[in-house]
Amino acid sequence: MEDKVSKKSFVEGLKEFFRKDLVQYIVKRVLMFFPTLLLISILVFFVIQLPPGDYVSAHIAALATEGELVDADYAASMRADYGLDLPVWQQYLKWVKDIIWTPSDTPYYRLYHSHHNWKYSFAYGRDVWSVVNDRLGLTIGVTAIIMLFQYLVSIPIAVYASTHQYSAGDYISAIIGFLGTAIPNFILAIVLMYLSYKWTGNANVGLFSQEMLKNGVHLYNFGEFLKRMIIPIIVIGTSGTCGIIRSVRAQMLDEVAQQYTLTARAKGVPEGKIIMKYCFRAAINPTVSGLGGVLSSLFSGSTVTALVLNMQIQGPVLYKALLSQDMYLAGAIVMIQAVLVVIGVLLSDIALAFLDPRIRYSGGGR
Amino acid sequence: MEKENIIEVKDLHVDIKMMEGTLTPVRGVNFEIKKGETLGLVGESGCGKSITCKAILGINDKKCIPSGEIVFRNEDENEVDLLKMDPKGKEIRNVRGKQISMIFQEPMVAFSPMYTIGNQINEATLLHITKDKKKAKEISLEVMRKVGIANVEKRYNQYPHEFSGGMLQRALIAMALVCNPKLLIADEPTTALDVTIQAQILELMKELQKEFDMAILFITHDLGVVAKMCDRVAVMYLGRIVETGDATTIYANPQHPYTRGLMGSVHKIGGRKDERLFSIEGTVPLAMNLPKQCGFYDRCDARIEGLCDKAEPELVEIEKGHKIACFACQNAACQAHRKEVEERLKREESTKEPVEGGKKRGKR
Repeated sequence: MEDKVSKKSFVEGLKEFFRKDLVQYIVKRVLMFFPTLLLISILVFFVIQLPPGDYVSAHIAALATEGELVDADYAASMRADYGLDLPVWQQYLKWVKDIIWTPSDTPYYRLYHSHHNWKYSFAYGRDVWSVVNDRLGLTIGVTAIIMLFQYLVSIPIAVYASTHQYSAGDYISAIIGFLGTAIPNFILAIVLMYLSYKWTGNANVGLFSQEMLKNGVHLYNFGEFLKRMIIPIIVIGTSGTCGIIRSVRAQMLDEVAQQYTLTARAKGVPEGKIIMKYCFRAAINPTVSGLGGVLSSLFSGSTVTALVLNMQIQGPVLYKALLSQDMYLAGAIVMIQAVLVVIGVLLSDIALAFLDPRIRYSGGGR
Repeated sequence: MEKENIIEVKDLHVDIKMMEGTLTPVRGVNFEIKKGETLGLVGESGCGKSITCKAILGINDKKCIPSGEIVFRNEDENEVDLLKMDPKGKEIRNVRGKQISMIFQEPMVAFSPMYTIGNQINEATLLHITKDKKKAKEISLEVMRKVGIANVEKRYNQYPHEFSGGMLQRALIAMALVCNPKLLIADEPTTALDVTIQAQILELMKELQKEFDMAILFITHDLGVVAKMCDRVAVMYLGRIVETGDATTIYANPQHPYTRGLMGSVHKIGGRKDERLFSIEGTVPLAMNLPKQCGFYDRCDARIEGLCDKAEPELVEIEKGHKIACFACQNAACQAHRKEVEERLKREESTKEPVEGGKKRGKR
């Protein structure tokens, strides 16, 4: 009997969730996704075209420093090979077309068996997607662990700090919070590496041992992998953690002072439930809307810290591609990041609509 | 405690400790409410009305420290002191929302925007009466119908922002009544509403009071509302009750200068068009480091120099059920109190002066 009741109310709850206004809101937001994508792709392509010269001129200059002279005919034929001699708008159209769909009868498909041609990375001398793909799983894995750490640590601390305002714990979390925000990541990384070297004799630089690079991460060396994760987690984790603590705490304090918190208390609702049901649910809104950026940072990782710690994730690849004018690789990474930002914002908007009924009602979003 | 009383507030003080000193918004409030009766608590902004009624439920900010006694006759007819209960404990939570509930001033912010009206009305039922969600919903729908919300099935699943102000106030009343409380505290429930809606809500509250047989503590600064709603009135000024009695008596024969001032500042039908409304000069002083004098002294037009600025009058019964705290009142009981205080002051002065004089001499 008890079971039946709870099941039925669960179905009712789902129905309540997927009310017409919510579905309409989601459809609207999804439709807005495509024009945004188009604009972003145009922007990305022209931005990567902006630096003077192209990969061929950079390549020729590099050869020239080695004393090898290249004649104009060779350069022109190289440009023709890569399609760099076409007008910019034609290059753009071809770029977009190939990414969206490469037919089966093209040489690219025969070579890589993929319908999405992200073009060729000049610097790596192979397909762009294979370069990106190399580090994709790892980047997402590493960053996801760090993100998880951030939210799991910061939100409980923030709730504690706000419900015990001006207590010793509140002050301690505030001090750590400000320090973490103020100290630049790369300095913290260097200091931690130094300490690690001093205490354990191992700087724990790089995410992988040589052995792991050869054989990949498996169960038997997972412990070693986790050990190597400690410094990145602390470095990248703390800065984000502090921001989240400060914003959630401030929001919580706002909510605790709200009239409806008092109403709930006057109804006889226990203090813990008031905090979770009324205050926390409302306080989490800005954090959820901040999740929009998380997807893209999952992909790129933290570039500067990754360089310092020699982490094999996506950030440094983009950095090098930009330096060497490897335009298709840079374009692919920037484009994928931009798309992830848009998807992230879309997802966080939908999450917000779930959380806050007022957003679906107005239908606007942010 | 008398048998017909549902609640007795005895010598209630509320202190707020601040950096600058101690603020005392409530300084010795006494009143009682009988079963099924409506007591109007009247006074201007900042006189401690809201803090008094929040103290009853123990939902004041934790900086507010109450003292005194609030004796409540609970559902088992036992007398309990609400102030002795832990404000976060289970005992007082069983009183809140179930035996005493509260309606707030602004319905628009009294509901959380995140949950449906139904969810929030249900909450008290699920806490106090039944764990069965279906039954709780039925109870909620029933109460919503009673407070005059049309189309309850649909309204039940709507969010606060889909309600108008008047409808929200009805929903708020429904939420307060859902557990059938014995005492309802209404903290200016109609202040945020427009006049036509105000009248409807007041009418509704009166009807529901009869139906549910509950007592109401009605807090307002609107004397028109008091006349319409209340059996008895307590006029509050600077954290104290200065006059209390039957509503009809107080309207016909206000005794305290402050009450008279309040009455004078109300529109009268048939009054002259060009007549200016009376207003009491000045504002309520800040309740911190108050001198030992009548709180109304600075603004009073009947003050007695040398007495009102030296001592604070106590509540004295001048006729049955009509109490007043004023030295200037000509009633025999008040005059007796005045004489008593004057003599006490004289005695104190005669014992005090040599001591003070001695000090002064010592300094020289």
